[in-house]
Amino acid sequence: MSDRVQAWLIPLRIARRDLLDLWRAKMLLFAFLLMPILLMSMFGYMFPPTPQANQFTQSVPTAYPNLPVAIVLTDSGQQAYDVATSFIQISESRSLFIVSEAPNFNAARDELVRGELSGIVVFPEGFSDSLKGGQQALVQVTVDQTNPQIASVVSGEITTVFSMISSDMAMQNVEQMMHNSATVNPEFVLEPISTNGEPLIAGNSSSFQFLAPGFMALTVVFGALSGVGFAISREREQGTMDGLLVSPIPATSVIAGKILSQTVRGMIQGFLILGLAMAVFGVRIYGNPIIMVVVMLLGVASFVGVGIILTSIAPEQETAQMLVILLQFPMMFLSGIIFPISQLPIWMQAIGKAMPLYYAADALRKVIILNVGFDVIAGDLVILVVYSIFTMLAAVPVFKRAMTR
Amino acid sequence: MDLGVKEGEIYGFLGPNGAGKTTAIRMLCTLLTPSSGSARVAGFDIIHQSLEVRKKIGLVSEKLIMYPRLTARENLMFFGSLYGINQDSLTKRVDELLDLVQLTSFKDRVVGGYSSGMRQRLNVVRALLHDPEIIFLDEPTTALDPQSTRFVRDLVKELKGRGHTIVLTTHIMEEADELSDTISIIDHGKIIATATPQELKKKCDADNLLDVFLTLTGRQLRDSASDRIPMRRTVGRM
Repeated sequence: MSDRVQAWLIPLRIARRDLLDLWRAKMLLFAFLLMPILLMSMFGYMFPPTPQANQFTQSVPTAYPNLPVAIVLTDSGQQAYDVATSFIQISESRSLFIVSEAPNFNAARDELVRGELSGIVVFPEGFSDSLKGGQQALVQVTVDQTNPQIASVVSGEITTVFSMISSDMAMQNVEQMMHNSATVNPEFVLEPISTNGEPLIAGNSSSFQFLAPGFMALTVVFGALSGVGFAISREREQGTMDGLLVSPIPATSVIAGKILSQTVRGMIQGFLILGLAMAVFGVRIYGNPIIMVVVMLLGVASFVGVGIILTSIAPEQETAQMLVILLQFPMMFLSGIIFPISQLPIWMQAIGKAMPLYYAADALRKVIILNVGFDVIAGDLVILVVYSIFTMLAAVPVFKRAMTR
Repeated sequence: MDLGVKEGEIYGFLGPNGAGKTTAIRMLCTLLTPSSGSARVAGFDIIHQSLEVRKKIGLVSEKLIMYPRLTARENLMFFGSLYGINQDSLTKRVDELLDLVQLTSFKDRVVGGYSSGMRQRLNVVRALLHDPEIIFLDEPTTALDPQSTRFVRDLVKELKGRGHTIVLTTHIMEEADELSDTISIIDHGKIIATATPQELKKKCDADNLLDVFLTLTGRQLRDSASDRIPMRRTVGRM
């Protein structure tokens, strides 16, 4: 066999051995496979589906169904009773709230404090009189502010229900006021302009659809970043690195082998995430799988160099691990994967945009959801390629120096 | 430091802890780049022809060079494949070597489960896969029981008999005495004596090599410390 063929085979052999090693470590393998599943399920349920259709007609289930809410009827008039009845009907038919009645605000407030309620709706004294007298009537809404997420959902949904009741009543009022002139449509009086959402992508989408590609990129890239580094530092400490370095193969073959095995590992996790996202959370792929793989490979390529440099300069595994985590954390939050970064201060955005993950996630998202070709993501890809070349070129001499000192 | 090893001999390399034995061996094996000086191993320069040097040498290092989750056979096949030996001859070679260290019946068991003696026997033959001209053995019998020690020492003699040149470091003076054709004693990074064991004993008027060693290097404990911890010392031997 020629030397050139040999040189190509060595990284494959090193990668195969690494994967066999992973296969043998059953507990490690279990954790390795469970990690993306856990991550995906966690974020999948944490970021609920976003309703797409018009809020007055849609029947998309709420993210937090059947929250306990209490009604306090301080006003004893017929109108208050009717509105409260409508509120209960609408809430329960849409599984928004489970409505109970509290004798007074303080009793309800105690329940809210104890966490037994998520919101209180009070019909204050004079509610019915206002409506009868042609005045706007107010209901008082109290939510648990110590839980901002639920609080905003509850107050939003309560407002929605009341605006539904309110617009029904308004419709009747307008009809009554105008029953002589049939030419005017009550809707025109109440809401002369209405909006209707036209989705960018077909079908019912959830915010998870947007998160899944980001998480795929994140998992693959983190796998590469920490995987290559840990693999090298572990072999160094274990002593087996000496066995590789004392054999007649160039250091680049060792690096290539490690990169290959970690890429395979990252890809397995990435596709596990995608599979789970599709099967459980209804994420759909609109794009070309080949472009997806190319983007992920470039994402990996842009990071392995960094991983190798960090591990090479660190004196041992613990330090290497800490350095990698130091890089991973800001990257996770500043790359626009979990939160859009546009609300961050400019300098923080700059850090996020200096990290290749931002571009890998952006490109992957566009490919998976918007089904774009190479032309649209060319900008992202060029940045990833430049990153890959520079970091890998820097990594090889740093690795060689670190290994022979 | 200036040293020359003759072809086909066992060269004992002795010295107190921290004298620089392991450093010297790692440099000769191209695992460390010397800050100054040069050396040729099997006729090749260790800095500029490192790949050629590596084809000619086998290293039995202080730390075990074995993947604990792989079987003995898998380990040997893997390391052998790095030398570009074709599959058939490699398979034969591995079986031969396993037989040589009497591990054939354990060849499909993972190395992590081996006893220290078994691991070290395997560690020695790992260095022989490509039939190297020169074999470096860095403290090959440290922490082994008498049976395994005997076995490894006999193996070293047999390798010499097969024509290999051997460089051996050890702290066990009787081992150096028994095996070495030539002994160099190194202290503070310098070679202070080179001779056959017999000559050394005669010269120092001592019965055994331990006394020779203490006469030449003194009884003072060698304490030195650096602020930088070399990577290979951050964890112990497997």
